[in-house]
This record gives sequence, C-alpha cells and structure tokens, in this order.
Amino acid sequence: MNVTSGFRILIIAILFPVRLLAVDETSPETANRQFETHIRPLLTQHCERCHGEKKQWSGLRVDSREALLKGGDRGPAIVPGDAKRSLLIQAVRHQGDAPAMPEEGQLTNREIEALEEWIRTGAHYPNGKISTQITRDPNHWAFQSLADAQPPEVIETSWIRTPIDRFILAKLEAARLAPSPPADRVTLIRRLTFDLTGLPPTPEEVDSFLADDRPDAYGHLVDRLMETPAYGEHWGRHWLDVARYADSNGLDENIAHGNAWRYRDYVVESFREDKPFDQFLIEQLAGDLLTADDPHTRRQQLTATGFLSIGPKVLAEVDQPRMRMDIVDEQIDSVGRVFLGLTLGCARCHDHKFDPIGADDYYGLAGIFRSTKTMDSYVKVAKWHEHQLPGDEAVQIQAAFEQDIVQRKQQIASLTEAEVQRLRTSRASGDTVEIPESEFSTEARAELGKLREQLAAKEKEGPELPSAMGVTEDEISDVAIHLRGDPLRLGDVVARRVPSVLRGREEIAFPSTHSGREQLARWLVDPSHPLTSRVIVNRVWRWHFGRGIVRTTDNFGLLGEKPTHPELLDWLAREFVNGGWSMKSLHRLILNSNTWQQSSAASETVIKGDPDNQLLSRMRLRRLTAEEVRDSLLAVSGRLDSTQGGPVLKVKNRGYLFDHTSIDLTDYTSDRRSLYLPVIRNNVYDLFQLLDFPDPAIPSGDRVTSTVAPQALLMMNSDFVLQMADSLSDRIHRESESESMRIARLVQLSFGRPATDQEQQQYSAFLAQADTSLMSLNVEESVRKRMAWSVLCHTLLASNEFIYLK
Amino acid sequence: MSPQREESEIFRTTPGRRQALQRAAVGFGSLALASLLGSEVRSENVPGNNRQNPLAENPAMFPARAKRIIFLFMSGGPSQVDTFDPKPLLTRDDGKPLPFDKPRVQFNATSNLLKSPWRFRQYGESGLWVSDLFPNIAKHVDDLCMIHSIHGTNPAHGGAVMKIHTGSDNFVRPSIGSWVSYGLGTENRNLPAFVTICPTLAFGGINNWSSAFLPAVFQGTPIGNASIPSEKATVRYIRNSRWSKDLQEIQLAQLRRMNHQHLETTGADANLEARISSFELAFRMQTELPRIEDLSGETKETQQLYGMDEPKTANFGRMCLMARRFAEAGVRFIQVTHNDDKVQWDQHSDLKAGHEKNAMEVDRPIAGLLQDLKARGLLEDTLIWWGGEFGRTPTAEADGRDHNQEGFTMWLAGGGAKPGFRYGATDDYGYYAVENKVHIHDLHATMLHLLGLDHERLTWRHAGRDFRLTDVHGNVVHDVIS
Repeated sequence: MNVTSGFRILIIAILFPVRLLAVDETSPETANRQFETHIRPLLTQHCERCHGEKKQWSGLRVDSREALLKGGDRGPAIVPGDAKRSLLIQAVRHQGDAPAMPEEGQLTNREIEALEEWIRTGAHYPNGKISTQITRDPNHWAFQSLADAQPPEVIETSWIRTPIDRFILAKLEAARLAPSPPADRVTLIRRLTFDLTGLPPTPEEVDSFLADDRPDAYGHLVDRLMETPAYGEHWGRHWLDVARYADSNGLDENIAHGNAWRYRDYVVESFREDKPFDQFLIEQLAGDLLTADDPHTRRQQLTATGFLSIGPKVLAEVDQPRMRMDIVDEQIDSVGRVFLGLTLGCARCHDHKFDPIGADDYYGLAGIFRSTKTMDSYVKVAKWHEHQLPGDEAVQIQAAFEQDIVQRKQQIASLTEAEVQRLRTSRASGDTVEIPESEFSTEARAELGKLREQLAAKEKEGPELPSAMGVTEDEISDVAIHLRGDPLRLGDVVARRVPSVLRGREEIAFPSTHSGREQLARWLVDPSHPLTSRVIVNRVWRWHFGRGIVRTTDNFGLLGEKPTHPELLDWLAREFVNGGWSMKSLHRLILNSNTWQQSSAASETVIKGDPDNQLLSRMRLRRLTAEEVRDSLLAVSGRLDSTQGGPVLKVKNRGYLFDHTSIDLTDYTSDRRSLYLPVIRNNVYDLFQLLDFPDPAIPSGDRVTSTVAPQALLMMNSDFVLQMADSLSDRIHRESESESMRIARLVQLSFGRPATDQEQQQYSAFLAQADTSLMSLNVEESVRKRMAWSVLCHTLLASNEFIYLK
Repeated sequence: MSPQREESEIFRTTPGRRQALQRAAVGFGSLALASLLGSEVRSENVPGNNRQNPLAENPAMFPARAKRIIFLFMSGGPSQVDTFDPKPLLTRDDGKPLPFDKPRVQFNATSNLLKSPWRFRQYGESGLWVSDLFPNIAKHVDDLCMIHSIHGTNPAHGGAVMKIHTGSDNFVRPSIGSWVSYGLGTENRNLPAFVTICPTLAFGGINNWSSAFLPAVFQGTPIGNASIPSEKATVRYIRNSRWSKDLQEIQLAQLRRMNHQHLETTGADANLEARISSFELAFRMQTELPRIEDLSGETKETQQLYGMDEPKTANFGRMCLMARRFAEAGVRFIQVTHNDDKVQWDQHSDLKAGHEKNAMEVDRPIAGLLQDLKARGLLEDTLIWWGGEFGRTPTAEADGRDHNQEGFTMWLAGGGAKPGFRYGATDDYGYYAVENKVHIHDLHATMLHLLGLDHERLTWRHAGRDFRLTDVHGNVVHDVIS
C-alpha cells in the first residue's frame, strides 16, 4: 500500500512538475494567473473592505505588495518566502496573538493553503497598472473609430465586381494567389436560393435562371429572392439565433412563452421590409419609449422590446433580489454580446479580466436595466411583464368580451324574470309582488348560482387581449456595485452610464425620469460608435460566407479573434451606416461580388497557399442548417406548407411545457417551415438538436456544424425522414411516367441538376436490387415496387449532395 | 499551459480518418472525435498540457483511479437525517424549535424539529450508520465512502439539479458527463461516451446532459426518459421500423457509392468524409446498443440480484443492470435516474410513506449493482456516485421536510474512493455542513481527479474565456481518496 502510494507520488512529481516545483516557476503569466484566480478574490472579498482604499483599520491595507510588506500597527503583514512568520497567515489561521481574521468567519483550509503557498513562493502581487496595460487594453482595435479605408488597388481589375472584391483580391495578390473561378450557374442558383431563403430552388426556377440570358440575370435573381416571404423568414431566423429566441423559459420552470411568436413575427417583418438596422435596434431596446402615429407601429415598438424579456430566467429563485439582478445580468450580457460583441457579464463580480470593462461600467449599465421593469412579480413562480397591444384586434376582442358579459348578465336576468313569473302564475299573485330568490325552486337557484359563478370567473379573467412579452419603465434608480456579484454586499453607487472605454467624446445625459434605455440605444447607433456597425456587418458576412471577418462573431474583445480583413470590415461598416443601415443593400453588395460567387472546388495551388481559406480564395462547402434540412425535405417531397406567422404552442401562455412527469407536451407534427416549430428550451426538437440548432438560451451568431453518428441514425431511421421519402416517391410518380423520367425528376428535385447517365444506370440497378431484397415481404408487386422507390428516394435524401452546398 | 481548444478549429474541420493524427495538434477534442468516427486512436490519452501535441510528450495528466462513473441520481432530494446521517439530538429534541438560525433563503417555511421515523444501525467493519430504509445497501457499507458535508447553493429543484449536473445553477453549461467524455474520449468506438438512462426532462431537462458549448460528440445520449418504463427505454432512431438489415446494407452501399461520386466533384473534404464515416458508425451502433440494452441473456441469478424479480424493484433494477453493461462496454459516464411521475424523493409531506417507497425501489438494485461490479472486478475502476440534488431540512414542513442545500450526504464507492469511510459532518441536527465542508464544486473536482483529470486544466475556450466544470472554484478532497 505504502509502496504504491509512494510510487504514485513519484509519478505525479515526474508528470506534473509544475505543481510541486511551484517555487521555481518563474513565468510571470502563471504567477499572475495564480494570483488573479486564487489570491486577489480572497483579498478583495475578505480583507479590502477594512484594509483597502477606503479604510485602513489598524493602519493596514492589503491592496498592494508594498502595503503588505509595510504592514500596519502590528508590523509587516507578510514575509515573502516564509508563510509561518507572516502575520497574515497567523491571522487567518487564528494562531498566536494575531487578531482572528476575517471577522465574518474563518477561511476554508484550501483558501488558507492557497495564501500560504502564495507567500511561500514569494508573494507575487501583480501591479494593477501593469496588468491593466497588458490585458485591459483601451487601444484594442475594436474600440478604435472606424478607419476611413478605401478599396485598394489591384492588378487583375477585370475580376472586380463590387468594391469588396478589391479588398479580397489585394490580399490574394499579395500572397501570389489567384481567386477561384466562378461557380457554374446551377451551383450558383442553388447556393443563392438557400442563402437568401433557406430553401432549395425548384426545378422550374433553375430552368428559368438558366434560360435568362440578360447580362444581369444574376442581379435580378438576387433582387427577386429578397422580395419573397421566405427571405424574411430565413434572415429573421438568423436574428432569432442572436436574440436567443425561444417559446419557453427553460431553466428551472419550463413554462410557455405563449406570446413570444409576436416577437418572432416582428423580426421576420422587419427583415422583409428592410427596416433600417438602427431603428430595429432602438425598437428592441426602447420601443416602449418611442412614439407612434398608428397602432401597427405601436404594436411593433412594444413587441420589439421582447428582445429584453425573452431570455431564460430562474423563475423559482427564492432569493428575490438575486433573481432581479440575474435578469438584469442576462440583459446586460445579451446586449453586450449581441450589439457590442463584448462579454460584459464578466464584470458583474469583478473588473473584466481581459477587456477594459470595470465593475463600475457594469453597474452603470445595471442601473439602466434595473430601472426597467421586466417582471410583474418576483414571487416564485415569477411572472414576466406583457404589453397589451393596441389596435383593431384588441378593440374587437374587448368588444366581444364586453358583449359576452352583457349576454351573461341578460341570461341571469331573464332566468330570474322567468322564475318570478312562474311563481307569480302558480301563486296567482299580482304582477307587482316581490318574490325573493330564496323562494325560487332548487333547480333555478342552482342554475343561477352556476351562471353567476361563471360570470364572476369571466370578469376576473378578463378578455384575452393581444399581448406581447416586453419591458416597460420601473422606478428609476442607480445601482451600487455588488461586491463579487453579491446583492447583500454593496459598494459605491454608480450613476447610470455607458462603459467608459466606449463612451466617445460626448457625455450622455441619463435622465432621472427615465431608465435611459433610449439613450443607450441611440448611443449604440451613433455613426461614430466603433462597435455596433462592425458587429452587425460582421454577422451578416458570417451568415453569407460561413465565417466572419472576425471569426468570433459574439466577441470583439481582447480574447476574440482579430479581423482577417480589417480594412474591409471598416469599409463595410461605413458603407452600411452611410447607406441608411439597409440590410438588403448589404446583401446586394456581398452577393454581387465575385468573391461570393467563386467556386468551392479550388486548385491545388490555392489550397496549398491558403489552406484554411483565411484569404477567401474559394467558397466554403456548407452543410445545411437544421431548419434547412427539414424545410428542404418538406419542399422536395412537395409537402411544404408555406403559411406565415402566428402562434405555435398548444400549451397556454405560462403553462408548463415540461414538469416532473417528463411527458413532452409539444407537438412537432407540422408541414410548416421550421421557423414555425416551437423552440422549447431544455428540450429543443430532437431533429434540431441533432443538427446543431444553437442553444436558444444564449445569443449565438456563429452556429457550429458537427458531424456525429446520431445524425446519421436520424436520417436513416426517423419516421419523419422515411415519410418524406414516401412523399417524394409519390411526387415523382405523380409527375413523371417512366422509370428514367422519374429518376431524372428525382435527381432534379433533390440536387437541383440533371441526372447523369451513370446515375440513371446505377439507380435503375439499385431499384432492382432493392426489389429483390423486398421479395421476402410477400407483398403485391406494385406495392413492392413503390417500396423500392421509397428506399431510393430515402437514399438520395440521406446523401451528402442533398445536405451540402457547393 | 492548459489544453485550451478553440471551438472553431474543431467544429469547422471535423477530421477525417487520414487527418486525425495530423489534426490532433489542435487538442484532444478532435482526437475523441476522430475516435468516435472510427480512427484507431485510443482513448487512454487524456488532455495533456502540451497544446502543440498532447500525445507526444505528456499523454496523461496523472494516473487515474477510475475509468468511468456511474451516477445514481435520486431526483427530488433524499433526506440525509433519515438515511445515512443519524442525529441523536434531533430525536431528543423532536418538536422543539431549531436552536439556531435557519438560512436567509429557504424554499418554504418550516416549523420545528422533526425526528426521523427510522432507526439507524451500524454495519460492517467500518461501523458506518445506515437507517432501516436501506437494509441491502447497508451490507455494503465497507465499500462506501460517505460524505456528510456536501453543500450547494440553490434550494430550488431546477437550480440544484443543474448545479449537480453542470456546476452552474443559472447558466447553461456542459454536463459533468460531457466534460468527462471530452477529457477521456470513449473506450468503445461503437458507442457514445456518455449515456443517461431514463433522465427527467424537468428541472433543466436536456441541459443536464447537454454538452452546451463543447462539441456535440460529447453530449449525453439519453436512453428513454423518466416518463418511459426502463423496459421500453432506448435511443431514438436506433431501429429502422421498415427495412430489413439486409436491405439497409444494400442501401448503405448505394449511399456510400453516391457519396464517393459526390466527393469526386468537390475534391477531398474532411467534413464530407466524416459524414460518410458517421453512417458506418451509426450502422454499427444499431447493432451494439440493442445488444447492451437486451438483458435477457443475463442469468436469472443476476436478474434477481438487481431485484428484477419483484415488480417494485424491477424498473430501477433493470436500469442498474443496464448501467453495468454499459460500464463493461466501455462507456465513460453512465447516469441512472430514479424519478417517478412525481418528483420522486421530494417529500414535503408524508415523509414516512414516500421515503419508504422510494428506498425500497432502489435498495436491492443498488446493492445488487455494488455486489455485481465487485464480483466482476469492475468496482476497482468504476466510481459509483449516489445522491440527490440536495438533502432535506431536519425541521418539519407538514409531516415532511423542505429542501436543504446547506448540508447533506452523498456517497461514493469504488474507483479510488476510500472504502468504509465517512468524511465531514453536519451540525447536531443535520441542517448545515460544519466540518470538512465539501461543496458541489469540490466533489466535481474530486471525481475528475479520480479519473485522472485536473479540473483546473480541463478547460474549453468559449465566448472569450476558458470555462471549466468547476468555474473558478473547487478543491480536490484528497482525504476521501484511498
């Protein structure tokens, strides 16, 4: 036993020298990290309140190495290299004469050991200023104003279609590379149709594009596709990824966001009508504070603020102050990631470790969102606020409700009257004799009681007016810094403001009468803001090319990646702002470029010279997204239902989607576009889940693409895919006569191109082979033949060509 | 230093077979992936601390004691003072007020002290205490390592369940099983590395086995869910309801032909090649998974051992036996959830009947699992982890107990946990952990340690920072390691 454990220690010592020989560890980075991870939090949390900048009880402060060496009234607090002789250690160990510290209770053994280890290894204490300069760099590229970049000169000017091409080609030429040739037109229309609408082109659309010999046929196609309803649905879905859209709360109490669909439809409509992005942003942060000339605009403004409300919340959090700050935190973090590309949430507990965002910056923003009302009640299960939406729909529902109440009252009155009449007649009393209800028949009293109960219930419930999740104003106040994020440990109050590093030249006045959301929103869309325009054009670039100019679309901070084409990014951002923040103009600029129209098959030279395609020397192969896979299956099999908008849940608003029974109450059997399937947090539809639908609890601008076996199982065995194969088989039998025509149609529908001779032969042989295998089933020949066709259709739908775009 | 992996690098270029080794330079994640996709790279390699090449110089963080974990999750929160943590003063002061403050934040209001309705006895050579709720588990106390001082942060089911599974009670984070899969990969290339048998879809649902921002290969594969009897539980889409295996083989051959023809038009591409392999793996999984789920080949004695001969214990027994079979087959993290159509162990009222029913359902199956693993030599390198998302208050709520995350008991067995050992303590009434406190983060750190993983170095770069299971917390509790 002893031998074994001794041996083990030896092995650990050999394999893991860093831990045992920490004294010799001289890397300042490691020492900094150790200090920031283990020591600074301890000192800040347990010591600095009394021994820091504000107070120096017993003359001691612990916020620098010098101060600790100098010590307080009792002498030096630390002796570097000698933990035992350090007063600090005696104090936290409650040893000797040193005062037992900290006052609120002894540190854990691990914490004490960490302090001892730190002192033993020399008490490295990074100087605050130095660490600021290294990591919290205010001169980081993303915080600088947009450069006034001009499209560069290039040699091969004939390749230039839009200015974007100059930026790309200049870098390629510098690397002595040529761009890839343009994709063929069949590939191009398939790529473009998916890009703008998330759907495959129909064979007829392909034919008509191929037949269009106008020189600007492609440009016309771009314009036509952007005007389809499918465009708004597909690009709205991109935004919903970023907006962490979901039809249920998720987290602990998974209850229905019964009205979230209104926000979804608002987003789709905004894209469809090319709403300027600055207006789109302002509406989402402060729509309720804007004015409107008509009810439709007002509905849009109120609905837009759903952006702030739709995040996941711990609705059964019993610690109400914590729940409130958790919601504020989720809002700050989302606004940060979505619009600024910054992880502001980090600064809740401490200054941001890498970006120049202080806890004070965070609580400056927190004031804005705590002055905003997201919740009507924090009592578990907490209730989020909903706006009642004005307009005809509301008026009609209100009128119908009032009429219903009137009718109910009339019913009660006439029943009463009838009973009185009946009693008068039976008693032969005069018309004026009062008969109290207590003398009514038992049945009549019971019936009246029931009717009155129903009336009372209806009145209490009120009309189900059109409502949307959203925020409004709360009591306006500034917020104190929460030390280590703890609502019970408050520091200085910070006036509401925007982060210092981004503030710009002019101070923004935050009024005492409003939360300041509108000021925040207007500051974000100020043309001189260094981040907002860069972040959104980079997102759009990512959605067109599969990778951002800044690859980390949601993080432009110091730990994000640097742009591959910084001048292009700034030029695009300026162009976007100057062009009135129009998405569709930006699409045109990108899609009409030669860069975007390149082939994805590159020459050896190009692959060698640009292995990771950093320079965009070719187009990327792209797998369809989860929604595109499902929508394509429905489209090619002829089943797609293109109904737009509206509610999707069968569970009532705020009803449980999932409770302890684990029974799934969500229905996904629908032939509508995937956009209109419920997005249920904690249990995203499994087809979506398997195909990398992003976690709807967090903003996500850069979907990932995984390739795992369960996806193959889904394609091979799920009833959904098998049914689509049947429908596709039915369709080609409906639409074509002979075997070879059916095969041609099948390939045309599935891959958007004509079938080759090889395919004709192969598929025909496969049908025969499948037919033979199916013989054992002993079914009629016609049935068997159709089954074989189903298998063939199924095989095409599962193939790489169906699911990957060139 | 740390094996930081950029999600982008792994996600975007799933390595094909022939690139696996070359791509390994970006981190072990892609190795695990490669291994899932049929490469020959074996799983003994844990993330090294050499970012350039984790294989070449430092293949292991340190020697592992356990190769896998079986987590027996008692959903709802079993009461510590009625199971493994006897409190004589609680019995003495029954009906009196708690002589110290209750926590600032409580789930519900509770009244005075409520003594346990069960008798405790000492068992085995170790003399550990077990109440009469678990007569069968009690026979194995000399294999158990009881930690009486577990504490968490959240008194509500949702938060606490997520905390236990992911280390976070308010954000979506990778599950511990995903971290383990990421760290160790899989021993069996025909199976996922992380399975969860009949998990509850409430209180975080899939977040409790999701890989969050880790690559999808590391997510848990659910075998049914809590609304499905374990007899019917299986992986979705594992069977084709229509075609014979023969026809499927013909179909796959055709698919392979088509995909290779397509590949000729695109040029070599790692993603397309990976997708081709994924169908081959899926086809193998179709055979392998049902083989493991099929318990009919087990002897009658074994089935009895797990309580499959009795209706009340059969459901959970089947799950435990399945867990053993997954462990044997090389799955890294196997979770078994005890959850009925209510929140099983959540006895706010009717403690006596509720806990009695619950304990009876799991007592024989768990004892059987311990015995069976031991007999097969699997307990050596399998770490069993038993517990709920929190414990319960020693004070009464009606004739039951409220949630209590301030101090409760979990136990470990096998896989390097110190056998026949008790660690930490709650106060005299069993409300707060007071001695050798072990936070959930500490427990996570310790379990990773037993698997040969340093919780501070098992990191993933996401949204601008390195994440780990234990966030910025966690200390390995060396005292519970044998």
